[in-house]
Amino acid sequence: MADVTFMGVPREKIPWFPTIDYAKCTFCMECDAFCPHHVFERRESDPRLLVANPNNCVVFCRACAKTCGPDALLFPDKPAIIALIKRVREEAK
Amino acid sequence: MKHAILSCTGLDKPEGSLAREVAIRAAEAAGGEIICPVLLNRAPARYRKTLSECALVIVDGCSTRCASRLAGALDAQVARKVSISDAAKTLRMPFEPTLRPGTGGMALAQAVADQLVRDLNAPAVAAEPPSVWEAPVEFLVVTHDKFEFRIPLVDYLFNENDCWVRVSGGAARVGISDYMQQRLTDISFFNPPQPGAVIEQFGEVGTLESAKAVFEIVSPVSGTVVAVNAAAADNSALINEDPYGAGWLVEIKPASLEQDAALLVDGAAYAEIVKRKAAEE
Repeated sequence: MADVTFMGVPREKIPWFPTIDYAKCTFCMECDAFCPHHVFERRESDPRLLVANPNNCVVFCRACAKTCGPDALLFPDKPAIIALIKRVREEAK
Repeated sequence: MKHAILSCTGLDKPEGSLAREVAIRAAEAAGGEIICPVLLNRAPARYRKTLSECALVIVDGCSTRCASRLAGALDAQVARKVSISDAAKTLRMPFEPTLRPGTGGMALAQAVADQLVRDLNAPAVAAEPPSVWEAPVEFLVVTHDKFEFRIPLVDYLFNENDCWVRVSGGAARVGISDYMQQRLTDISFFNPPQPGAVIEQFGEVGTLESAKAVFEIVSPVSGTVVAVNAAAADNSALINEDPYGAGWLVEIKPASLEQDAALLVDGAAYAEIVKRKAAEE
């Protein structure tokens, strides 16, 4: 996925992905079942759900959080990410 | 039209008990039949007549949206909906994390029910007929497997979140692409933004719901919401049928169009994005 960009910015430079609040997560796995981009992963060695592929997350998509009953998925502040994208684009000019 | 109220029964969650309270209060105050989600799921024929005769009102407990999904799976058109967890945040009314509702929970249930009943009893506002915009004529077609995704070649700009904007005479119309309407499958509900709301570029201008997902409409432009497509809110199938025309969603008075456009792409560039997304699925 190294060559993937979002708005002309390399995806890995944009820190947009969910963070799981394990104090709230009930491990219902709705988010994992929903996300078509395989952002989440379950591993045999770890009982918790992991954000294993953060750069697969579609920038500005929060659809998994909207499926989360216990409200355990957090996303970064959108305006801050937009400002970062604009800054990186300016620097690349 | 009578109301059919389909609510979360969530016996294992505080939100479920409160959703049930809201359903009972709304049914008593506004009149209507309560639909049991378990029976609806088990024997949908039991409610076929009710659903064909009544406007469907959804009371979801939490973001699992069981009631909404049930309605979506039945292809039922939703007239109104509320969510206990969303309302608790919007109204800033926290509730006790107990299965038996406490005083905070009961106050929240009453507030949600009151608002719902006001909405249900409000006389229908005659919507201004929307201005006529010519439908796009030239499309690029991206094919992937058996799917065909149409993308208008001129007049439309896109963001990478599959939303378009078209500008005409100082107004900017916003909608979703053909690709996204096919990804969502049958859209069961359009939750529009409030007219007058000030939106940043890439801010949320409402949501769309299907059995598959809740889609946040990411505004391609900044500005003020001046109108929402009442026809699409009443009949969300329009968004699936004609996403670039009659299924438009929101009209915005743009604040800084030129600046915003620098972060958008034209139809040809969006086609490349759709090709990539379709291949990654």
